[in-house]
Amino acid sequence: MAEDGNRDAPAAGLGALWGALRALLPRTKEELRLDLGESVERSVVLLLQQAADLFYGGRRSECLQTSEVVLDYSWEKLNTGLWQDVDKDWRRVYAFGCLLKAVCLCEAPGDATTVAAALRVCDMGLLMGAAIFDDILIKVAAVLQAHLLPGKRPAHIPAPEQPCLKKARNSHVSIPDLRSERAVPRLRCPSLQHFRKHHLVPQTPVILEGVADHWPCMKKWSLEYIQEVAGCRTVPVEVGSRYTDEEWSQRLMTVSEFIDSYVLNEPRDVGYLAQHQLFDQIPELKQDISIPDYCCLGDGEEEEITINAWFGPPGTVSPLHQDPQQNFLAQVLGRKYIRLYSPQESEAVYPHDTHLLHNTSQVDVENPDLERFPGFAEAPFLSCILCPGELLFIPAKHWHYVRALDLSFSVSFWWS
Amino acid sequence: MAEERPGSWFGFGFCGFGQALGSGRGRQVLSPEPLRVPDAGTDICDIGSLSAAWSYTAIVSSAGRLLLSGSARGAADGCRDAWASETLRAVLRDGPGGPGPGAELQAWAPGAALRGEPLWARPAGPEEAGREDDGAACETRAGPLPLLPGARAHLSPRPPLCRPLCPALRARRLALGAEHALLLDAAGQVLSWGGGRHGQLGHGTLEAEPAPRLLEALQGLRVAAVAAGGWHSVCVGETGDIYVWGWNESGQLALPARGLAEDGQTDAGEGTGELYTWGWGKYGQLGHGDTASRDRPRRVQCFVREQLRVTAVSCGPWNTYVRAVEPGRS
Repeated sequence: MAEDGNRDAPAAGLGALWGALRALLPRTKEELRLDLGESVERSVVLLLQQAADLFYGGRRSECLQTSEVVLDYSWEKLNTGLWQDVDKDWRRVYAFGCLLKAVCLCEAPGDATTVAAALRVCDMGLLMGAAIFDDILIKVAAVLQAHLLPGKRPAHIPAPEQPCLKKARNSHVSIPDLRSERAVPRLRCPSLQHFRKHHLVPQTPVILEGVADHWPCMKKWSLEYIQEVAGCRTVPVEVGSRYTDEEWSQRLMTVSEFIDSYVLNEPRDVGYLAQHQLFDQIPELKQDISIPDYCCLGDGEEEEITINAWFGPPGTVSPLHQDPQQNFLAQVLGRKYIRLYSPQESEAVYPHDTHLLHNTSQVDVENPDLERFPGFAEAPFLSCILCPGELLFIPAKHWHYVRALDLSFSVSFWWS
Repeated sequence: MAEERPGSWFGFGFCGFGQALGSGRGRQVLSPEPLRVPDAGTDICDIGSLSAAWSYTAIVSSAGRLLLSGSARGAADGCRDAWASETLRAVLRDGPGGPGPGAELQAWAPGAALRGEPLWARPAGPEEAGREDDGAACETRAGPLPLLPGARAHLSPRPPLCRPLCPALRARRLALGAEHALLLDAAGQVLSWGGGRHGQLGHGTLEAEPAPRLLEALQGLRVAAVAAGGWHSVCVGETGDIYVWGWNESGQLALPARGLAEDGQTDAGEGTGELYTWGWGKYGQLGHGDTASRDRPRRVQCFVREQLRVTAVSCGPWNTYVRAVEPGRS
C-alpha cells in the first residue's frame, strides 16, 4: 500500500499502520508457530496452522473467521475451572487468536473505530492471554495506540484539574476522626536493616516517608495524564459499592469510559479500577514508578513481584480482608483511610466460612453490626490516612480495610 | 429442504471441520439443513445414536454402522452407541456373535480412525449390567453413554477417562458440562457434582461439590430428563416443566441477559413437536437463520413451515441435530 505523504486521510494513515504491524510479525508462517503441550487438542493445533496459512496467504476475512473460532474455543478453556489452574498453553492460544484478529482488522482501510476495536482485541489478549512471540501484543498495542493518539480524547475533560479534585474532597465522603484511634507508626527513610528488624520480622505495619515521594508519578500523574497515556486501553472495572455485595460485578471498558462514567459527571454507581496489573499492560506507566528497595529483603525474585493499580473516585471501599503476601501500598493521588487488624485478631473479624470468601471479613468496618459480631468492638487495630508520596507496609495476612477519601490512585506491590 | 421420507435428520450450527451438517463444508449453517455425511454420499435417515464433539460428529445408524465426520473420519460396523468428546471417543461394539454377550466398550484417541488398537477396552455386555436391588421393572442396562452399561461407571473427557459411580445411586442418565456433572436416578431425582462457580450445581452456593449431591430444590418433583451445557444445567419434570440454572452469559437460561438484542417475539408453544431454541447463537446453532444470541425461547420456524414434527434433538457444543417426521408418522 503506497503511503501518501502528509495527507491525514484515514486510508493513507492505515497503509502506514498496516506496514508497521506487519513488520512486527515474523516474515514466514513457519516462524509464527506456538510450541504447545499435550493439553491443546490436535484439532486446535490444526486450526492454528490454518489461521497462520490464511494470514500469510493474504486471505484476511477467512483468517478473521478462523481466529474467531480459535478465540471462542480457547475462551471456553479459560473459563473452565479455577483461573490459577488454567493451562498456560490455552492462554497462549487465546493470545494468538487476539494477535491475528487485531492485525487482520487493520489491513483494510478503516477509521479510528476500527483501530480502537483492534486495540481492544489486543488488550483482551493481554488481560486474558499469556505472552507469546516475545510480548508481541504489547508492541502491537503500542503501535495501535500511537496511531490513535490525536483526537481520541473526550472533549469534556476539565482544563484545570483542581476544581474536580476540590469537588471530590468536599463531596459527601466523610473524613474519619482519628484522634481516638491508634496510629500506624511512621518512619523516614529507614535503613534496610532497621526496617527488617523492627517491622518485616515482627510483621508490624509502618508508613515509610521520604521513600516514594520522588517517584516521577508523584509529580506527573493527574486525571489528564492518565487519560492521555491510557485512555484508549481496555481495563477491568469493579462496579458496586463493595465486592461482597450481591449487586457487585466486573466489567471491561476503556480507561476513558471509566473516567467518564465513574469519576466525572456525578456518577450514580461506584466504579473502581481495582487490582489490575496496568503496568504490565502499559509499560510507559511503569517508568513512572519504582520497586521499593525493601522488597529485596524478601525471598522472591523481582520479576515475581505483582504490581497492581488502584484507581477510582472518592468513596471506593475494599472490605476488610487479608492477602497471602507482603504488601507495600504507595499512594500517588488523593488520600485513603486505612485500618489494619493483626492476624491474631482473625476470630474477632469473623471471616466468611465459604472457600470463595474465606480471606474476607463479614464485618462492615465503619458501620459494624455489633449484635452479630460482638467481638469486633474490642479488637485492637491501627489506622491512618495515607497521603500522596507515602508508602504503607501491610504485613502478610494482616487484615486491612481501605476507603478512598478523594479521587485516588494507589500502587500496590505484592512480594514474598 | 424438506425430505419426503419419514424420520429425517437435520443439522445446523458450527461445521468448521467439515462435520456432517447440510453441505458439510463451510464454517457454519444458520438454518436446519438435511444431514449429509460427506463420505457416505447418501442422506442419513435412520440414526440410532448421535454424539457431537466440537470438531467431529459420531453417528451410529440403527443397523450398527458408525460414521465419523469432521476432524475425525472413518466408519465401522457392529456398533451400538458412540460418545464423542474432543479428547476421547468411546464406542460400544457388539461382540463377535452380534448383539448380546461379548459386547465391548472401546475408548479411542480422537485422531485414530478406528483401526488398530483402542486406548482401552472393557466388557460391556448385559451380564455386566447387574440387577436392580428392589427387583422393580427398571432397565438393568442404564441409559446412553457417557453412562456405562450397568451404571457403575461413566466416561469423562479428562483423565481419569472412566470414573466409578456408586451403584446405590441407581443412575439412569448422566449429562456432563465443562466442569460439572448431572445425574438422573431411577426415582427421578437429580444429583450434581463438580465445579460450581457459576451456580451450575443448583445447590444455592458457588462452592464445588466433590461427590454427587442431591438437588434439594427439586425435591418432590419427578424429573424425566437432564441435560448440561458448558456451565448451565437443565431438567424437565414429568409434567413438562423445564428448570434451568447456572451461567446465563448468553441467555442460556432463557432469562434476561445484559447486552442481548431485544426480541419482541413471544412464542406460545401450541401442539407437540415444535422446537424452541435459546442461548448462544454465534455459529447459527439456534437455527433461526442468523447468528444472534437470544435470552428467550424462540420457535425454529423451518420445521413449522415445512410441516414437520420434531421428535428428537441432540446438541453438540456449537451445533444442533434434529430428527423430524411428517405428521401421522412416528
